[in-house]
Amino acid sequence: MNELIHIAETWFQQQGWKPFPFQKKTWKAFLKGKHGLLNAPTGSGKTYSLWIPIVLQYIKDNPNYRTKKSPGIKAIWITPLRALSVEIQQAAQRFADELDTGLTVGIRTGDTPQSERAKQKKNMPDLLITTPESLMLLLASKGYAKTFATLKAIVVDEWHELLGSKRGVQMELALSRFKTVCPQLRIWGISATIGNLEEAQDVLLGMDHSFRENAVLIKSKNKRKTIVKSIIPKKMETFPWRGHLGLHLLDEIVPILKKSKTTLIFTNTRGQCEIWFQKLLARYPELAGEIAMHHGSISKDTRLWVEQAIRNESLTAVVATSSLDLGVDFAPVETIIQIGGPKGIAKFLQRAGRSNHRPGEASVIYFLPTHALELVEASALKRAVQEDVVEDRIPYLLSFDVLIQYLITLAVSDGFFPKEIYKEIKTTFCFQGITDEQWQWCLNFITMGSQSLQAYDEYRKVTVSTHGLYKVESRQIAMMHRLSIGTIVSDAMLLVKYVSGGFIGTIEEWFIGKMKPGDTFVFAGRTLELVRLRNMQAQVRGAKKTSTNVVSFMGGRLPLSSQMSKILREELNSVSITTENKGEDWSFKSQELKALQPIFERQRRESVVPAADQFLIESFKTREGYHCIFYPFEGRFVHEAMSGLLAYRISLLSPITFSLAYNDYGFELLSDRPLDIQQMIDNNLFATDYLFEDLQKSLNATELARRKFRDIAVISGMVFQGYPNKAIKTKHLQSNAQLLFDVFRDYEPHNLLYLQAFRETFEHQLEEGRLRQALERINAQTIVWKPCQKPTPFSFPIITDRLREKLSSEKLADRIKRMTLQLEK
Amino acid sequence: MTASLFIHDQEFKLHASGAAYWVQQSMLLIADVHFGKVTHFRKYGAAVPLKASEENFQKLRDITEAFNPATICFLGDLFHSKKNNEWKNFEAWARDTSTTVILVSGNHDVIPPYLYEALGLTVVDALHIDSFLLTHHPTEHETLFNICGHIHPGIRLQGGGRQSVRLACFYKREGQFILPAFGTFTGKHIMNPQQEDIIFAIAEGQVVCVSNNP
Repeated sequence: MNELIHIAETWFQQQGWKPFPFQKKTWKAFLKGKHGLLNAPTGSGKTYSLWIPIVLQYIKDNPNYRTKKSPGIKAIWITPLRALSVEIQQAAQRFADELDTGLTVGIRTGDTPQSERAKQKKNMPDLLITTPESLMLLLASKGYAKTFATLKAIVVDEWHELLGSKRGVQMELALSRFKTVCPQLRIWGISATIGNLEEAQDVLLGMDHSFRENAVLIKSKNKRKTIVKSIIPKKMETFPWRGHLGLHLLDEIVPILKKSKTTLIFTNTRGQCEIWFQKLLARYPELAGEIAMHHGSISKDTRLWVEQAIRNESLTAVVATSSLDLGVDFAPVETIIQIGGPKGIAKFLQRAGRSNHRPGEASVIYFLPTHALELVEASALKRAVQEDVVEDRIPYLLSFDVLIQYLITLAVSDGFFPKEIYKEIKTTFCFQGITDEQWQWCLNFITMGSQSLQAYDEYRKVTVSTHGLYKVESRQIAMMHRLSIGTIVSDAMLLVKYVSGGFIGTIEEWFIGKMKPGDTFVFAGRTLELVRLRNMQAQVRGAKKTSTNVVSFMGGRLPLSSQMSKILREELNSVSITTENKGEDWSFKSQELKALQPIFERQRRESVVPAADQFLIESFKTREGYHCIFYPFEGRFVHEAMSGLLAYRISLLSPITFSLAYNDYGFELLSDRPLDIQQMIDNNLFATDYLFEDLQKSLNATELARRKFRDIAVISGMVFQGYPNKAIKTKHLQSNAQLLFDVFRDYEPHNLLYLQAFRETFEHQLEEGRLRQALERINAQTIVWKPCQKPTPFSFPIITDRLREKLSSEKLADRIKRMTLQLEK
Repeated sequence: MTASLFIHDQEFKLHASGAAYWVQQSMLLIADVHFGKVTHFRKYGAAVPLKASEENFQKLRDITEAFNPATICFLGDLFHSKKNNEWKNFEAWARDTSTTVILVSGNHDVIPPYLYEALGLTVVDALHIDSFLLTHHPTEHETLFNICGHIHPGIRLQGGGRQSVRLACFYKREGQFILPAFGTFTGKHIMNPQQEDIIFAIAEGQVVCVSNNP
């Protein structure tokens, strides 16, 4: 083995590099035949930590490798973003070529042309770089077992990104198949730092002992220092109490841009990204040509151009979303600006890490608050970075939608025997707890579309042959399935194209749906006029007049992680202690908290800044109705659940209707009638008894489950999104997940997919575990109820939130008598 | 269960199922049933519960029994797709019923008229009764009042405390009365009401007037 390692070290020397200890450790572990997880940050040479031993192993197995090449695919490299594949390919090919191995490196993603794919099918490259979806598609092609028989290694890059998502479940299932098909397989993952690395490794390798016991977890010691600087408004008095755009501080960032080579400005949503880009240009026209925008809805060509321009140092700044979080290193990037709370420490660190790749130097990230209270978040982030706190990524359990998709995938290619596949999937982390009944349910679902054979039914999907092989016979169903594997689950997306041709990007249907031809909007930095909508395409032309209608996108609001919210609470409580015990001495507070002093003082004057042992409730009346605000400081998801729970429990006392709002700090129950808060406190509504039952009954849960069901319906193939770019009529097959959800609720409430929507809501959205802990904490606190005259500084961002849920215990007919129609203006 | 709407001195009883009973004509008006849709989806691999389709037939039997009309008039989109097994259920229903059945054909009605006619139905493009014109698509007429379907009208209501609900509805505007979709597996289209429009929403088995004009 030492000889082999020497080959690699020599090559490193020739490049003028020196391998890091973690790289050598990984080489050795791989060559010893181990599986494992490598914990290394982006831009640390992780590609070479795993590609090198794959090549070395090949050299060892084929001593005559220079003269005689052994056929067949050797390794698969999974990357969550196709944008990363080119860099990996170049790095891998370089090493393979310079060692004269003759090994080839190929890419297969949604962007790979059909001709290239066909060529690959005949003759696979030695290393295939691909995405989880494309890997699934390979499992949907005939004879895959033979194609992959020679496979020796699968490397899953950025595993932390996949882990907490259903693409992670796709990977788990694919790996369970490869373990059988490729007897010599080694499985490796690469992950950035997360709180649950050990669990991440278990999920990757699955439950079978042979893999777990022969595995290592390798951590790189290369830790980058991060410096966090807050942009503090000069005049706190005029800084807004609410908002999420942050444009008030736009002028403050220009000096920062001027000081550094290239700056990445991270926003939290695509809409915010569009607006910042627009406003920067409007205020500083001299920046034209020097700044660009990068987000997931802009056409790939534009994105590639932007990425190249960053490398060429031809840009001063790029306004971006999470589309630039991952992947390739941009050496010229010196500074990062984060606009608005990143809500999680890991995300914040990842973004900080996009700057300054010179070893030994610190990454610098500026935090720009979008409203006053976000400065507390900034203060908390600083502490989190100092204290090395990172979040967990929670893996999915029993995702039946992904399992059904996977089973149909196998049925589309060579067919499968349930006995064999059941054994495999039970070894995955996700399906370790599946029962025989649930498995049978899934088989019935794909073969009969229900749980028993029904007369006159024409359901067609998977058929069972006489010797028990499950197979898709219909070519049309096979094609529809292949198309749906790759569909990104999101709102219906429309392509935006110029009438004269030329693709600009994609846009959500609800945004364009409310516009008429002739209306203008701003998208991808251009002002466009809608000409017509046709076949899922919005045809546009450049508009002459200017428009303030900036494109916006649904979703994208991230909740505070539990780790962040804990630190945030501690920061706030420290303010309360300061004011109570130390008088007005703010000198030892962080600069962010100091800047907030006037706001805290006002909050104290009108209400109270709660201490660690206090739970604050405020009530007041406005034109909109009777507001009641609660402040658990537990993050959006927990508040979402808690507001629903509380509203439900109050509604049991007497018929009432609430509209609910929440942010990361607290939540609001708004009603058109006054609320008896003392009665609420007396009835101990924060009890943890019957928590699950009460949550399930709160209408809130149904509404959330309805939203979760969208993904489930698409992944499990219940909703067919149509043929991309084809004018084939699918109109008679169009439905939406909402409608399906209602039909299941009314006619098939025991459907596992329907129930899964609720389970996901509790486990991933409402975070039942965290909610319970929060309630227990509140029960140990003193409740402080402050009736106020008007909205307080703390309440302001919550009561102005427009995204609302509702809960009611009144009869619908009674309710609508008090409602009014929205008349067209 | 019902509310009454008067148009040109004629009374229409609006039922929570989405059907409307024209009292003077003893005619039951039903729009957008979309029979066969559930089976059509199942045929292409989407496992929509079959019960949703059975419920359609049950609703139809219940409403016929409730009003015992002389005539049933379907205002289009009776069948969602080409013939499939739900047609058998429809045949059985059509043979059983003693009522006169008329189909005003709609855009989804691709099943050839002679198949309906063989079951004793009359298929027309439009139906002219007194001062009324019954069609599938909303149609403007200089003198006649139009009763139609197609739109699947729904309405959004807002209340204090930022409440909001969306409900299927009967929608009357100048010269036109639009029925909600009767079928169980159908969506709705949210309307933009004008001041003078008359709207009855279907809320948990009740029909409630929600517009300013009764």
